[in-house]
Amino acid sequence: MKLTIKNMQNFVLFVILLAVVAVISISLPDKFLTAINFQSMTSQFPEFGLMALAMMMAMITGGIDLSVVSVANLSGVMAALVLTSQLGADGGISATMLIVLAIIVALVTSVVAGAINGLIITLAGVPAILATLGTQGLFLGIAIVITEGHSISGFPPEYLFVGMGQILGLPMPLVIFLITIALLLVIMKKTRQGFNMYVVGANPIVSRFSGVNNTRALIQTYMLTGLMAGIASIIIISRVNSMRPGYGSAYLLQAVLVTVMGGTDPRGGFGNVFGVVMAVVILQVIQSGLNIMSFSPFFKNFTWGFMLLLIMVINFYLNRYQQGRRIAETKKRVAAEASGNSP
Amino acid sequence: MLKNLFKSTESYLLIVLLAFIVVVGFINPKFFTIENLFDLLRSSSGMAILAMGFFIVLLSGGIDVSFTAIAISAQYIAVNSLIASGVDNLAVAFLIAVGVGIAAGAINAVFIGLFNVPTLITTLGTMSLFHGALLEFMGTKAVNTGGLPECFKTFGHFDILNLTRADGTEYGLSVFFLILVIVVVVTWFILKYTQIGRGVYAIGGNKEAAKRAGFNIPKIQFFIYMYVGLLAGIMGIMHVSLIRYSNPNYIVGSELGVIAAVVIGGTRITGGRGTILGTLVGVGLIVVLEKNLVLIGLSSYWHQFFIGLIIIIGVSITYLQNKIRSKKNLIFVRDT
Amino acid sequence: MSEAILDVRNITKTFAGVTALKNVDLKIDVGAIHCLVGENGSGKSTLIKIIGGVLQPDSGSVTINGVAYDSQNLRAIEAIRGGIQIIYQDLALFPNLSVVENISMNQMVEANDKLIKWKEAYEIAGQALSRIEEEIDLNEKVENLSMAKQQIVAITRALTQNARLVIMDEPTSAITREDVDHLFRVILRLKKMGIATLFVSHKLSEVFEIAEEVTVIRDGNKVGDYPAGELDNDKLTNLMTGRMIEYKPYFYQDTEPEKPNLLEVRNLQKSGQYEKISFTLRRGEILGITGLIGSGRTETALSLFGINPPDEGEIIIDGKPVVIHSTHDAIRHGIGYLPEDRLNQGLFQEHPITDNIVVTVLKRLLDKRGLINSEKRKTEGNRWIKELSIKTPSGENPANSLSGGNQQRVVLAKWLATNPKIFILDGPTIGIDIGSKSTIHDIIRRLAGEGMGIIMISDEIQEVLQNCNRVLVMYKGRLVREIPNAAEADEDDVFAAVSGTSGGV
Repeated sequence: MKLTIKNMQNFVLFVILLAVVAVISISLPDKFLTAINFQSMTSQFPEFGLMALAMMMAMITGGIDLSVVSVANLSGVMAALVLTSQLGADGGISATMLIVLAIIVALVTSVVAGAINGLIITLAGVPAILATLGTQGLFLGIAIVITEGHSISGFPPEYLFVGMGQILGLPMPLVIFLITIALLLVIMKKTRQGFNMYVVGANPIVSRFSGVNNTRALIQTYMLTGLMAGIASIIIISRVNSMRPGYGSAYLLQAVLVTVMGGTDPRGGFGNVFGVVMAVVILQVIQSGLNIMSFSPFFKNFTWGFMLLLIMVINFYLNRYQQGRRIAETKKRVAAEASGNSP
Repeated sequence: MLKNLFKSTESYLLIVLLAFIVVVGFINPKFFTIENLFDLLRSSSGMAILAMGFFIVLLSGGIDVSFTAIAISAQYIAVNSLIASGVDNLAVAFLIAVGVGIAAGAINAVFIGLFNVPTLITTLGTMSLFHGALLEFMGTKAVNTGGLPECFKTFGHFDILNLTRADGTEYGLSVFFLILVIVVVVTWFILKYTQIGRGVYAIGGNKEAAKRAGFNIPKIQFFIYMYVGLLAGIMGIMHVSLIRYSNPNYIVGSELGVIAAVVIGGTRITGGRGTILGTLVGVGLIVVLEKNLVLIGLSSYWHQFFIGLIIIIGVSITYLQNKIRSKKNLIFVRDT
Repeated sequence: MSEAILDVRNITKTFAGVTALKNVDLKIDVGAIHCLVGENGSGKSTLIKIIGGVLQPDSGSVTINGVAYDSQNLRAIEAIRGGIQIIYQDLALFPNLSVVENISMNQMVEANDKLIKWKEAYEIAGQALSRIEEEIDLNEKVENLSMAKQQIVAITRALTQNARLVIMDEPTSAITREDVDHLFRVILRLKKMGIATLFVSHKLSEVFEIAEEVTVIRDGNKVGDYPAGELDNDKLTNLMTGRMIEYKPYFYQDTEPEKPNLLEVRNLQKSGQYEKISFTLRRGEILGITGLIGSGRTETALSLFGINPPDEGEIIIDGKPVVIHSTHDAIRHGIGYLPEDRLNQGLFQEHPITDNIVVTVLKRLLDKRGLINSEKRKTEGNRWIKELSIKTPSGENPANSLSGGNQQRVVLAKWLATNPKIFILDGPTIGIDIGSKSTIHDIIRRLAGEGMGIIMISDEIQEVLQNCNRVLVMYKGRLVREIPNAAEADEDDVFAAVSGTSGGV
């Protein structure tokens, strides 16, 4: 396989990941490389990791989903309502059933919310950035209206397992995240939906002229991005053990940051799950290092903004270099063809 | 002429606004008083000024989500500088705020103009960067009314026109309105009568053609984002003078309302198309709605919901028209 | 000897070791109407860019209006000041701005005034328009103008820059015949003002209509300058391609007359685009449809492909009426469509060749679990790369790594993979050099020979007459002529039908 920048990107990310881990391990040996820290890191990143994967899918189709955090809020509120409802106390439903019901409600809510995004984008032809900006307000607004701004708490204790429990020594959020990644890998690489997402993002006119149902592909994309937010919300309400609309507003920036850091092209057509996952882990390692050194959350915000801009500037130079190389290659090829063809 | 008027988005919007005002006035006759009008103008001039900035960005085919972070940074730095230095002078406060705003805008422009970073990604990054830096390096403590330099309070109370109520007490039209008028006129003048203003329309309409026509595109982008920073700085000072309290967490988060006002005002995100009048009507609609939600029986919790809904309905109508036209004329454009 | 506005000598330009232009001369007299013709990739656009100062040559000199510039010294701004104005195909107008501003913008920017003097802008635009005797509402936005009017705006803008030579790159490719005539009248008015025109075109008939002098280039070399009167179609083709292309006409014989028509279109109608279109297509036929831009040819084809649903009429395939609402409906009914605009409608430029091919047949690559089988994907891609001799080391290379002719084969491949019964090819050889052209024609004939029904749409009359057995002519949204035996048709007669000048239309 030829080593182009596109497939070199994941290798570079991997090197960066190792470097970041090495630097932080060496400078904070007894705090970073501990089981407790590993536990806390792996329960933290699935939340924004899922939102980043949502962002990645939207970007691959040439769009963006600014509503992910709001969708997570809305489906979190819906699940919280179920969990605290009278069904459990008086309704005779067992705690397990209630939890299953809550999860179903959260996921259905998020998929419906995603479908609304998809419908606005495809049927009315609104650019994704505006449509999801609007629904960002709308979905959060619904969550606020439902809760009147208060937080909902008092979940059945069994529900804490989703956010705090372990399977085979792995924290539940990580297990959920890994399963989702596996699922997405199959979707993106092996299904028609995945294929169509890439080609619609590459050029929606060509895909339409090739018989791809763009409308369906896009609606399904935003249903998937919604689903990711829904899964995140299940983890969030368990970890926080309550739900208050407005939670996780910093996740939007982090999601965009790791998506582009993971090699997703904001213009659409390119991006991959592995890259984004590695970027998620890198961000978490840095975050953890900053936490251990007790930097304020404000400093972290500052750092994320700075990193996002830095990566875009690096991409600018990489693209320029790659373009130069491609032009040179094309010229060489044309030359070879011309000399081969001439009588 | 009349036909043209009814074709444009802003006239539809004006009708919606008027209808809404009539409904609100019907429910609450006090709405139609000059006092209420003055009140609305005082409290919403700042938002309208931010909208002018966002309008220019959109006109050039960009987007900016960092202007609220710039406004609060400018405000908080200016307030704290005045307190620290003991200078109690409004002009100095404005100078500092405007300076901070312009510098922040220039940072945006560096990434957008020189490194070709998409505007949304740039400003998402700088929003976090500016606000994070403000809270980290300037602190998080709010300045309350007691500790606020007098000049802000005087400025907040300064009226350019005073009227007397029936009971003999006075009310007035805030100087904020005068500032808004100046900003609107200056913005209008720049866009209509200056080379750089036409350049904003040109790059919004066809960036490649603008380049070939000889426009210096990075220069125009520097102008745009620095102008937005300047307006954000002005708004920051007005905001603290209005509420007589400076909290470094205020203003940030209110960008959705401003964006809503501009996009429903008919300015297209693809650039080049939009009017100041439309933007002002859009601001009017959002403000009247926000102020009267409670009046029509809905709690303030509905605020966010309605802003979102308005954006969706507004942009859906605009882009649906566009889509139908493209379909009819077999124009294939990449617009998502 | 008359005075020259432009004198280009010994221009050589190489890109990364490839020679694009070799010792090319070009001399244009003041007020002349000069044509530059050549195949795609012959170096026409490189030459224009060098004249405009956008590209710098390796060696040679450019003399504009008596001022000589050494090989690398000419900058774009100097070319403009010297009176050179290039109007590219995309026109570079601002759709959101008014006519007055589009016309006066460049001059205003050039003057670098900080403020806009609107009164002056109106004067500049008004005067420039009246100089070429054109009337366009100055306050109208350019996006509301027709393509032809937009072109006039671009020409008028060139006049405000004190143009002495206007270079038009393929100006007739997107406008109707009437507008072409209008454009020619404008060019003649320019001539009267002493402004020369360099007309760059590949449409030979137009070249003869307007040009006084013709310069032919081929493979980066100048073939020669010829007075237009000394050339005819065959001679010019020969000069451009360097060989005589022999055409074997396509003969068709109905081997299964008992079967229903493969495709029958009855009274298809779409308001504002075309009306009462009826025709049939049989297996193994190559049916040509020719007509000008705006004649409804592409609009009709897009209706068959599900992109432009008709208002009325019937589409009958194999004797059964069908409804085609979308492109996948069309594919389901066995219709393939090779689009006119390969760059924007045909290919995912940066994506692998294989993905470009399999996009239409993804369903077939799924395994029992409904997942894409990578082996099948690769096999399908390689099969077509081999079958159509697409020159590439690997199917995983991006489509834009291929030359124009090979790219077109990828688009062909993606449709052949669907095994269509009816294959519509809209401008199948646009932007493709002569060598590849005949290969693509050969492929089309072979497909028809295997029983596929082909509809070939082209505005090159020769192309349809030489490759189709039957030809339909469209004019202003109507079918105006059916030529049952293309091989025996008279080209001039067809030309008259296409341009609406034959009797009885």
